[in-house]
Amino acid sequence: MRSFLIRCYPARWRARYGDEFEAILEERPLGPFDVADILLGALDAQLRLRGHGVDTQHARSFTMSLRIGGIAAIVGASLIVIVIALTGGRTEGSDNAVTIALLLSLAALLVGLTGMSAFQARSNPWLVWTAFAVTAVGTVAIFIAGLGDLTGAGPRDWRDGPLPIGAVTAALGSAAFGIATYRGSVLSRKGALSLVIGPAVGLVGAIAVSQNLWELGMLLVVVGIVSFLAGWFTLGVAAIRLDRTSAFKPA
Amino acid sequence: MERKIPEFGRFAEPSLLILVSLSDGPKHGYAIMQDVEHGTGRPMGAGTLYAALARLEEQGLIEPLQPVDRRRPYRLTAVGASNLAEQLRGLSEFAQMGLRQLGKTSP
Repeated sequence: MRSFLIRCYPARWRARYGDEFEAILEERPLGPFDVADILLGALDAQLRLRGHGVDTQHARSFTMSLRIGGIAAIVGASLIVIVIALTGGRTEGSDNAVTIALLLSLAALLVGLTGMSAFQARSNPWLVWTAFAVTAVGTVAIFIAGLGDLTGAGPRDWRDGPLPIGAVTAALGSAAFGIATYRGSVLSRKGALSLVIGPAVGLVGAIAVSQNLWELGMLLVVVGIVSFLAGWFTLGVAAIRLDRTSAFKPA
Repeated sequence: MERKIPEFGRFAEPSLLILVSLSDGPKHGYAIMQDVEHGTGRPMGAGTLYAALARLEEQGLIEPLQPVDRRRPYRLTAVGASNLAEQLRGLSEFAQMGLRQLGKTSP
């Protein structure tokens, strides 16, 4: 009976506690209460060693959220690079593949923002919620505009279609998230700063273009886009690296 | 700095009882069981004891010593002692509050 009860525990647990546990069981006769108690203890040890223990759940879900957020941020930024490559810098015309890539990129950034916002949401909840809401509104708007575009019901020109909506919402949402992240100073502050500077420089560039300062304006727009993408990439990598540090692993 | 009391789930009470038992010196598992049973009048099963011991050891609140025969004694760490003091102070304040409220409503 004792031998059977001890075997109910995982091998790793037995290697550590097996001898002393067996010595305790030999100290006194086992009643039904003891058997039930030991079986529950064995179940608890099995669950804990598989990472399902109650006191490891919080840390586990937290690291998972950081990892998913970091990967989504990198995917979102990569998709924006694809959008730029597909449009070739054009601001007119229309392309279904670009609409879909743009929609996916914003959705990925939304997931990235959500997954990486655990720290910032404590200190700057309003900024984080603003960033989330703006990006979410943009994603929904692009979804609706994209549907219209794909079915031929919407405008057949980027200038009236999803591109400006996506650009503005992604820029505003990212800037708000960048400010919250910079203040939180847990994830990369350089990445956060890039995320704030990028949209600001891009906006100045767009104004310059509208004022017929084409060369200067386009230069600023390009710098803004590079800074914006660098910010998301840097924050994504920082979140994944933070997830791998022992400080956030279950004990 | 404020130190948070670790979460032990359904092993919160056994963990506290074990910490109290170890507060007057190192003890091995069976001695802890006897001590707890003597102090509370309720038996503590070996399964519960070792589930709680493993958590306390993981949290760094207790540490194992060299085994004597197959019996391994455990002792409180400095962190464990301060954690225990904090928990007992919290319980004491809670008990005093309860007694005050009971005093107000008692006929």
